[in-house]
Amino acid sequence: MIELQRLTKVYRGGQLALNDVSAKLTKKVTAVIGRNGAGKTTLMRILSTQLLPTSGTATINGFDILRDKGKIRKFLVSVPQEGRPIGMLTPFEHLRIYLTARGMSFSDATEAARKALKELELWEFRDRPADMLSGGMKRKLFVAMAIAAGADYVFLDEPTTGLDPLSRIEVWAAIKELRADVLLTTHYMEEAVELSEEIVFMDGGKIIAQGELNSLLEGFKGMIRVESSSPVDGWMRVGNIYFTYASADEAEAYLKKGFSIKQITLEDLFIRHGVMEIEP
Amino acid sequence: MNLRFILSMGWYYGFYSIIRGPSYVIASLSMPMTMLFLVYMLSRGSLISYAIIGGFISMMSTNALSSAGDAAFFRLELKVQDLFVVSSISSTDYMLGIMLSYLVFSIPGIAVYAALSYIYKVLTPLSALALIAVILIMLVSTSSISFILAGMLTHIRNVWGIVSILSIVLSIIPPIFYPYTYLPKYIVYVLALSPATPAAVIMQGLAGLQPLQPIMAVILVAETVAYFMLARKFIRWTEV
Ligand SMILES: Nc1ncnc2c1ncn2[C@@H]1O[C@H](COP(=O)(O)OP(=O)(O)OP(=O)(O)O)[C@@H](O)[C@H]1O
Ligand SMILES: [Mg+2]
Repeated sequence: MIELQRLTKVYRGGQLALNDVSAKLTKKVTAVIGRNGAGKTTLMRILSTQLLPTSGTATINGFDILRDKGKIRKFLVSVPQEGRPIGMLTPFEHLRIYLTARGMSFSDATEAARKALKELELWEFRDRPADMLSGGMKRKLFVAMAIAAGADYVFLDEPTTGLDPLSRIEVWAAIKELRADVLLTTHYMEEAVELSEEIVFMDGGKIIAQGELNSLLEGFKGMIRVESSSPVDGWMRVGNIYFTYASADEAEAYLKKGFSIKQITLEDLFIRHGVMEIEP
Repeated sequence: MNLRFILSMGWYYGFYSIIRGPSYVIASLSMPMTMLFLVYMLSRGSLISYAIIGGFISMMSTNALSSAGDAAFFRLELKVQDLFVVSSISSTDYMLGIMLSYLVFSIPGIAVYAALSYIYKVLTPLSALALIAVILIMLVSTSSISFILAGMLTHIRNVWGIVSILSIVLSIIPPIFYPYTYLPKYIVYVLALSPATPAAVIMQGLAGLQPLQPIMAVILVAETVAYFMLARKFIRWTEV
């Protein structure tokens, strides 16, 4: 379990990235979503003891991120958002170096590396210097390192950004097989829904909503989204799409008028927080 | 201390850097070799012993300084440092792993200078042993300076510029390629801030080229400890 106690982060230069956040994350897999700059990475880095908060603290399984750094670092794995492998080294070498850093013996490291590389379909490329891997393969290599470590907690900051659909499914399968508790961030709403038992929605350095999918979309119950590509008076706008929310009963009528109809998804949570407050 | 990590980092990163990027090995030898050539020509061979010992020290110093590029790149660009922070290694292990990889990476250069010293009979067996010790200590102190630098940077762009300036200040200006007695005494002490200076003074003494200066051994060890402690502070293992 992760418990955040009034976490605040102000970066040097004055940027407020986390604003007095308190929460309890109790589920096995939690997905953090939110717009660019919402504070997701800042939260992940603070929880994984890479970055110090300005004030407040948090505990992971009862261990304090300020006082018990050393202990947390041993049972937690954290894959950075923009992590990239060392160009000169191969996937196999990355895993072996990383796993010895996790405290494994050489032979355990080799064994665990082999297993993870096979699981993520990287085995074929195990001896290719990372410079010569595609962007998605590099990303998968980081996920492989996280999975191979056999940690109790796994933090993944945008693990599937840039992955093709099949690779994404491989990563999802690997995440689902983990014994560990997982905290991940993603910009893919279907990924949040597919993987997590609980979704945390962040905006402006705060947790705006937290819960399972249905409870997050409670406010949209019985509604649909109606979209138009030309301006309509009183509707909201995102880019050059104009839209409004309506009762599901009115769907037919809107369709007849030539508008398109969308089911409510997590995206609507973003829209409501991003647009409705500004352009009601 | 996690010896397994230090060994695997040192071996894989050091050895495969030679195999997969041999141009860097040649590049790291080019400056000391040029100096060796110039000193040899200008002194008509009379300062060849200085040039060989100096080249040895200078090559080690240059290589250790260039690890600042890796350290900064790992932290700022690849985020590899972040990955290692959350593991069972300490910042000391991390730095020692990278230092060892630079030692492995320097083996071809060490071999070249060992051969030259042998051919020109610059070293006795005893002074050769001393040179190995001096070089290892210097690797730790100079790499520590690299980690301090890498930790202070906020933009990767600056690293190569600063490394080349530091290379000149720390590996060419000190009395590495010429007798330290050419310099006023106080200047030698100022230049001793660069680990290459005490290293060269010690070796010039042991090779019988100049009077021995035992105090320089104390300075070398003391500043190695100091730079290493500072590196642990500056490397930003936990970012603020
Ligand atoms: N090192 C830093 N120094 C100063 N400000 C920073 C730093 N890192 C992040 N910020 C700022 O903090 C805020 C939160 O950034 P963060 O990286 O946590 O967002 P995020 O939710 O992960 O975004 P994204 O979805 O784009 O990854 C942003 O306003 C960002 O500009
Ligand atoms: Mg982020």
